Amino acid sequence: MALFERKTETENVTGDAATRALSVAAVENDFVEGVYDKLANVYDLIFGPTLHPGRLRAIERMNIQPGERVLEVGVGTGINLSLYPREATVTGIDFSSSMLEKARERAARKDAAPVRLLQMDAADLKFADNAFDIVYAPYLISVVPDPVKVAQEMRRVCRPGGRIIFLNHFLSPNPILSRIERLISPFTVHIGFKSDLDLPAFVAQTDLKPVSIEKVNVPKIWSLVTCVK
Amino acid sequence: MAVDPELLEILACPNCKTKVELVKGGTALKCPQCRRVYPIKDDIPVMLIDEATIEN
Repeated sequence: MALFERKTETENVTGDAATRALSVAAVENDFVEGVYDKLANVYDLIFGPTLHPGRLRAIERMNIQPGERVLEVGVGTGINLSLYPREATVTGIDFSSSMLEKARERAARKDAAPVRLLQMDAADLKFADNAFDIVYAPYLISVVPDPVKVAQEMRRVCRPGGRIIFLNHFLSPNPILSRIERLISPFTVHIGFKSDLDLPAFVAQTDLKPVSIEKVNVPKIWSLVTCVK
Repeated sequence: MAVDPELLEILACPNCKTKVELVKGGTALKCPQCRRVYPIKDDIPVMLIDEATIEN
């Protein structure tokens, strides 16, 4: 007889969406920073073309009006910068200085919209409440240690009526695929993301109100989640 | 893009959430409350408490 019961990793991620763990994998900021410092030189090559249709759709969904203030959380190498209309005011933050260095080089190119870049923690944004019209996290939320905290911060800095947009891979609703995604998640964190982030649990725990959830990219295993504050 | 007035308006000290000010000829941001100075490296303000210095 066991002296105590130990919850297995799988048990933690099943059950009520309001309380269950979002992923079997746990990461910390220092670990993620280390991974992305290494990825900075090859990120665009590995994650560039495959994930690009989702980026284009996200910009389309944002429907950015002249003068609107956009915050990109996890600006990374600045791969989105050439996609924004030039009339937008774009601010980008990232935790990794190596990734930001790439973004700075990119921002200096002629085709990029003007952007302000800052180094900060997505889970602890240094902006005033309601400071932005659009707050966008492209391929970020499965990378951070605490996705719920990041989403709450994104909501805080977004003005009432503004848009909060997540572009990400989430756990498949298919039981076989989801089992594989959970199985490989402790390994995929080493290349920069958790493969098993649970969308229903994420939405339930963040108090976000998605107005649309669409599948993007090929294969269509990524989602574009648009919310209005 | 350097730190513009609009950005300064919405930017807060990572430690005490007070509005920060541009100092040292625009190469750093300082919190008047807790006196922490955040460097601006290659035009990128580093808004991390660990990277700040405390100056009088």
